[in-house]
Amino acid sequence: MSSESSKKRKPKVIRSDGEGKYYSEEAEVDLRDPGRDYELYKYTCQELQRLMAEIQDLKSRGGKDVAVEIEDRRIQSCVHFMTLKKLNRLAHIRLKKGRDQTHEAKQKVDAYHLQLQNLLYEVMHLQKEITKCLEFNDSGVSFPNRLAEKYRECLSNKEKILKEIEVKKEYLSSLQPRLNSIMQASLPVQEYLFMPFDQAHKQYETARHLPPPLYVLFVQATAYGQACDKTLSVAIEGSVDEAKALFKPPEDSQDDESDSDAEEEQTTKRRRPTLGVQLDDKRKEMLKRHPLSVMLDLKCKDDSVLHLTFYYLMNLNIMTVKAKVTTATELITPISAGDLLSPDSVLSCLYPGDHGKKTPNPANQYQFDKVGILTLRDYVLDLGHPYLWVQKLGGLHFPKEQPQHTVIADHSLSASHMETTMKLLKTRVQSRLALHKQFASLEHGIVPVTSDCQYLFPAKVVSRLVKWVTIAHEDYLVTPALPLHFTKDIVEAGLAEDTNLYYMALVERGTAKLQAAVVLNPGYSSIPPIFQLCLNWKGEKTNSNDDNIRAMESEVNVCYKELCGPRPSHQLLTNQLQRLCVLLDVYLETDSHDDSVEGPKEFPQEKMCLRLFRGPSRMKPFKYNHPQGFFSHR
Amino acid sequence: MERAVPHAVPLGQMEVFQALQRLHMTIFSQSVSPCGKFLAAGNNYGQIAIFSLSAALSSEAKEESKNPVVTFQAHDGPVYSMVSTDRHLLSAGDGEVKAWLWAEILKKGCKELWRRQPPYRTSLEVPEINALLLVPKENSLILAGGDCQLHTMDLETGAFTRALRGHTDYIHCLALRERSPEVLSGGEDGAVRLWDLRTAKEVQTIEVYKHEECSRPHNGRWIGCLATDSDWMVCGGGPALTLWHLRSSTPTTIFPMRAPQKHVTFYQDLILSAGQGRCVNQWQLSGELKAQVPGSSPGLLSLSLNQQPAAPECKVLTAAGNSCRVDVFTNLGYRAFSLSF
Repeated sequence: MSSESSKKRKPKVIRSDGEGKYYSEEAEVDLRDPGRDYELYKYTCQELQRLMAEIQDLKSRGGKDVAVEIEDRRIQSCVHFMTLKKLNRLAHIRLKKGRDQTHEAKQKVDAYHLQLQNLLYEVMHLQKEITKCLEFNDSGVSFPNRLAEKYRECLSNKEKILKEIEVKKEYLSSLQPRLNSIMQASLPVQEYLFMPFDQAHKQYETARHLPPPLYVLFVQATAYGQACDKTLSVAIEGSVDEAKALFKPPEDSQDDESDSDAEEEQTTKRRRPTLGVQLDDKRKEMLKRHPLSVMLDLKCKDDSVLHLTFYYLMNLNIMTVKAKVTTATELITPISAGDLLSPDSVLSCLYPGDHGKKTPNPANQYQFDKVGILTLRDYVLDLGHPYLWVQKLGGLHFPKEQPQHTVIADHSLSASHMETTMKLLKTRVQSRLALHKQFASLEHGIVPVTSDCQYLFPAKVVSRLVKWVTIAHEDYLVTPALPLHFTKDIVEAGLAEDTNLYYMALVERGTAKLQAAVVLNPGYSSIPPIFQLCLNWKGEKTNSNDDNIRAMESEVNVCYKELCGPRPSHQLLTNQLQRLCVLLDVYLETDSHDDSVEGPKEFPQEKMCLRLFRGPSRMKPFKYNHPQGFFSHR
Repeated sequence: MERAVPHAVPLGQMEVFQALQRLHMTIFSQSVSPCGKFLAAGNNYGQIAIFSLSAALSSEAKEESKNPVVTFQAHDGPVYSMVSTDRHLLSAGDGEVKAWLWAEILKKGCKELWRRQPPYRTSLEVPEINALLLVPKENSLILAGGDCQLHTMDLETGAFTRALRGHTDYIHCLALRERSPEVLSGGEDGAVRLWDLRTAKEVQTIEVYKHEECSRPHNGRWIGCLATDSDWMVCGGGPALTLWHLRSSTPTTIFPMRAPQKHVTFYQDLILSAGQGRCVNQWQLSGELKAQVPGSSPGLLSLSLNQQPAAPECKVLTAAGNSCRVDVFTNLGYRAFSLSF
C-alpha cells in the first residue's frame, strides 16, 4: 500500500518531451498490450484463488508453522491484489480512451453529414432553376430575345396612350369656352326665374377658402335664410388670394422669427425702440384676422338694416363681429341717443352678461401674456366684439370646466342657436330704433304716448318732463359728494353694471321738481328700465324718508308689466315716464294740508280719489282706474 | 386684465324682476308662533314668510338659516296685521281675516283654515284691516281699519258681534286694557278712543293733536301706534310720541323724537318705539332716550318681542319695515343679524 501510494507520488516514467518528471499511466497504457494484460489478469486471479485455498487449508489444519505460511501467502495475495488494482486502472483508462476516440470520430461524421445535406439542398435548388429555365425555353424563343420583345411592345403602347391624352386635352380645353358661353347665356334666365345659381356657385367657390368657424357660420346662416327668413342675406368679403397664400410653407415666417430672435439677443440700448416695435408686431401677428369675412344683412320691417361683419382671429381661434345699423331715411341722432345705435354698444348683452369685452377662449390668456396684451377690450373697436353668441354661431364652444386642447367648429351648435340669435338681433335693432325716435321727442319735453296706450293714463296730466339727458355710469354710482345719493339701493343690488345706459329725467310742476335717475339695461324692453326718484318740494324726499316716494318707484319699477303696451313693448319707457308724471300729480294734489300754514294749497286736488290715505304707511292713491277715471290704492 | 375681475351673475329678466321686488318690499306685520321657535312676517305683496328663529339663533346657523323656511301667498293685498293664538296664526290685510294652523303652516301648499270678512258699510272699495287684537277673556278677535269701525268677531263661531263706531277716519292701531276689558284705538282722525267692550260704547276720547305740547302740524294729526300698561298709554304718529295718564287724560311725558313713530310697546321698565328712520329707540319712562340701535331698513313699521315661555333661547326683539329684512336683536344693545325674505 505504501509502495503504491509512493508510486503515485513519485515520478517514475519520464515522458519523452522531457519537460517535467511525472508518472503517466495513460502513456503506459499505450505501451502495454491489452491481450497480455488480460492473460496477466487471468493468471493473477488464479493465483489468488490458489493462495486463498492454501490459506484455508493451513487454517483448518492449525499448528505452529501455519502462521508463517499464512503470512507468506498473505503477502503474495497482497501483491496479486495490487496487480489487480493496476489492471483495473488500466482497464478504466483504456475504456476512457476508447470513448474519446469514438466521440471524436462521431463529431467528424456529423460535420460531414451536415456538409452533405447542404450540398444536396443546393443541388436540388439548382435543379429546380434548371427545370424553370428549360420550361421558359420551351416557349420556342430564346431567353434574352423575349425581354427585348416586351420592351418594344411597351414603348409602342406608351406612344399610343400619349397621343390619346393629347386628343382628350384638346377636347376639354375646347369645351371650357363653350361651357362659359352657355353659363353667360343662362344668366338672364336665372335672373328672370330668381335663381341666381351662378352667384351662389361663386359664393360656394369662395366659401371653400373660409376658415372652419366662418364656414360653419356661412353654411348655417345661408341655410337659415333660405328656410326661415328671406330678409337675411349672406355674403363673403375679402381677398381669396390672400386666403390661399396662408397655406404656403411656413419657412419664410420661421426665418423671420429666427432673425428677430437673433436681433433680440444683441439687445443694446440703441436697440430698445425696436424691441417695442417688435412687441407691437408680435401683438399684431397674434391678433391677425383671416383675410376673408362673412357679412350678414338683417333687414327689418321698417327697411332698416343691421349689417354684421364676422371675422376670424386665426391665432386666437375666436370670432368677432362688427355691427352697423342703417335706416331707410337718415337719422338725426338726439344728443342722449348717442350710445343706442353705436357700433360699440348696440349689440352689448344680447344675451344677459354677454358684454363682448373679454376673449371667450381661456387659452388666449397665456398667449396674451407672452406679447403683453392686457385685455382684448383695448382692441375691440378695431377687431370687433368677441361675443359668446358669435362663437356659438361659428360652432365654437369653450367649456370652462374642461378646457379643450383644440376647439373645432361644430355645425349643430351653430344651428341650434341660429334662430334665437337672429330673432334677438332683430328685436334689439328695432327696440333701439324705437328708443332713438322716442329720445328725440323726450329731449323736447314731450312724452310720446301712442294711442293704444292712452288708456293707461288720465286725460289730464299736468306735470311735465322738462329734461332728458344721458349721464355717465360713474355719475350714477354713489359717493356722498355727488348729487345722486338716492341711487344707493340699485347699486347695492348689483343692478347698475357698466354695460347699462344711464339717464336723468326731470319732471316739474309748479315749485316741485322730481328727479328720476334711469337705468336702461341693454336687454330693454324685456328687462325694464329702473327708476330712482328724488323729489324736491317742501324739503328733499327720497325712498329713504318718504314711503310714498318709495311707492311711486314701485309703481314704475315693479308694476311695469302693465305699462308694456302691445308687443313688442317698445312703449315701456315712455309709458313709465308718463306714469311718473301722473304719480307726481297725485302726490302733490293729495298733500294733506298743514293747518298751521297759511294760504291755499299749491296744488288743488283735481284727481278723483276715493280715499286719500290707506294702510299703516298712509299710501296715496296711485293706481289709475280705467275707464272710470278715478284713483285708488293697490 | 383678462382674468382678474370676478363677474357678477348675469341678470336675466327674471332675476332683475325678483331683485326689484325685493328692493320695493315692505314688511308690515310680524307674529311669533305659540312654541316661540318660529316667526311669521307679512309683506306688501300679500306673502307670509315663516322664519325659524331657533335655527337662525343656533350655533350651527348658516346663511340659509336666515331665509324663510316657507313662503306662501296669503292675501291678494298687503298683510297689514297678524296675531297668533295658541294654535292659529291670524292674518289680515285686504278686507279679510284668514286663519292658518301653526302646526300645518310649514308644509308646502298650506291652505287657510277659514276666512272671514266683517260686514262693511261701503262696497265701492274694500277697506283694509290695519289692526288685529285678541281678547282672551272673551275668546274674540277685534278688527279695525279702513271703514273706521272696530268689529269684534267670536273666534269660536266666527260671528261678528259688535261694530264700534266713532272714528271719523280710518283706524291705525289697537291696544287692550286687560282689566276692564277696554280697547283703545288710534286713527287717522287724530283721536285715541277708549271703548268698553261690555257696553260697546266709547268711554273716553283723547284728541292728541289738540294738545299743543305734543302736536306737530307739519306731520299731520294721525295716530299710528298705541300701547297701554294699566293706567298708562303711549301713542305716536304725526304728533310726538307721548305718554299719557289715562284717567286724567293728561300727557305726562313727551319723548323728543322728531320722526313719526309707527310702532310702540312697553317692555319691562322701558318704552320701545320705531318709525321713520333706521333706529329702534329705547326710552326711559322719564322721557330720556336710553339707546338708539340702528337696524338695516330705512324705516320701521313693526316690532315684535318673543316672550313665549316655551322657548327662552329665542327671546329676541325683531324689527321690520321698509325692506325685505327682519332685524334680530338678541339683546337690545345691537343688531345681531337680519333674516331676509
